[in-house]
Amino acid sequence: MSRTQGDWTQGCARLLIAVCADCGNNWYLPKDRCPRCGSARQSSVQPSGEGRCVAVTLLHVTGEPGGAPLSLALVRLDEGPVVMGRVDGDLAPGDPARVHLLPSGTGTTLLPSFSRKAVT
Amino acid sequence: MTAFLTGVGLTPFGRQPGRDSLDWQCTAAGMALDDAGLGPDRVGAVIAGYSTVANHLMPANLAAERLGIRPDVAFGMSVGGATGLAMVAQAVALVRSAAAEHVLVVAGENRASGQARTTSTTVLAQVGHAAYEVPLGGNVPAYYALLASRYLWSHGLDDGALAALPVQMREHAVGTAGAHFREPITVADVLASRPVAEPLRLLDCCPVSDGGAAFVISRAPVSERSLQIAGVGQAHRHQHLSELDPDDTGASRAAGIALGEAGMDLGGVHVWGIYDSFSITVAMIVEELGLAPPGCAGAYAQAGAFQADGRYPLNTHGGLLSYGHSGVAGGMAHLAEVAGQLRGERGVAQVRNCEAGYVHADGGVLSAHVGVVLRKASRS
Ligand SMILES: [Zn+2]
Repeated sequence: MSRTQGDWTQGCARLLIAVCADCGNNWYLPKDRCPRCGSARQSSVQPSGEGRCVAVTLLHVTGEPGGAPLSLALVRLDEGPVVMGRVDGDLAPGDPARVHLLPSGTGTTLLPSFSRKAVT
Repeated sequence: MTAFLTGVGLTPFGRQPGRDSLDWQCTAAGMALDDAGLGPDRVGAVIAGYSTVANHLMPANLAAERLGIRPDVAFGMSVGGATGLAMVAQAVALVRSAAAEHVLVVAGENRASGQARTTSTTVLAQVGHAAYEVPLGGNVPAYYALLASRYLWSHGLDDGALAALPVQMREHAVGTAGAHFREPITVADVLASRPVAEPLRLLDCCPVSDGGAAFVISRAPVSERSLQIAGVGQAHRHQHLSELDPDDTGASRAAGIALGEAGMDLGGVHVWGIYDSFSITVAMIVEELGLAPPGCAGAYAQAGAFQADGRYPLNTHGGLLSYGHSGVAGGMAHLAEVAGQLRGERGVAQVRNCEAGYVHADGGVLSAHVGVVLRKASRS
């Protein structure tokens, strides 16, 4: 299955990452085997949801009418994996970021959305 | 055991309504067979690239029947933009194993006139992960824009840092018959073009074109114009952008294998054909290969390093950015151009003293990499 049980792709308000039970490697997109050690033993864990933004785009042309403009980001989670999400507010590469699961503009699907984390 | 590129066919690219995918494939295939001086009865294997417009179940059989070829081996392939060179790699394997004497490799489609732009963009968005990326609303330009954003930020560059690359590709296309776009452009034009997916603007993105390309790969040379395929290398490290390692996309691994097989290093290469679907694509690949230091591809272009008389003559036909992008055939045009250079047939665009060339294609989001080293056959 290419969806992780119980995460946002199944309507739950959270990101999950996988952790290899044998070597500790972790990843975001579903995999049957650990790409580092080949193990099939893994568990799902909820990451902190915090990380650093490494890329942002403002998209002016989409396939859907009314879909643009749309801002997307890549965030490297503190745990390591990179996650793609929508941008909520102002966010630039280098910024500390935090994920929220927000309804998409056109529907009720929850999507990972990143906002700049206030530095305290 | 080596293999030879004996026939090359490349049609003009552009918006050219009136022909379908199979028409473009067979036009290019006819050119390649004529170039090799071979009739259809001599072709032992046919490999065809996918067409997003035709989307046929058996593209190689379809083309073979139309061309009057009854091959021993026929199959279609799809590795995104790397398909053209991946087909060459399989053709090389077939002739090396003696499964075929001559292999026809072909691709083409009416991508510009045969389907709406939005359809094309939506189909190609499948490059994203169906569950984790596509629902966010991105498309291929957005994924490459994210690569560009990361690149500019990590090297401390401003938004104009890549603009000299499309300008250089256009300069090459100005003198190339058959190129989709031949009007000169400037860095200011690139920066003034409409934003598509920031930081990428329209002139950072290749067009969608109609056209075709084909090659004949053979066990032995058929004439003095035959070229040696001295090395082939591949790397497939990820499929989706979320999994990409910007310091090791696979580009350098593929090149290393191809050059190693040829017994060469970068210094032995005189002409280059590097996949340039976007300005950021060619920037990241040339830097990972080591032609330019990290973050310096745009500055190198600005300084003339990629001109025909520069240090690294690059995409001297204009590349995908200006010769055009007709699906799989787009990434084959780079090889056709390098072949033209090594044969000494490029006229005013001819690179001097050119003995060996390197061609590189990527598919997906720098996901699939194939490199090919071509050399004048006289050296083997
Ligand atoms: Zn493991």
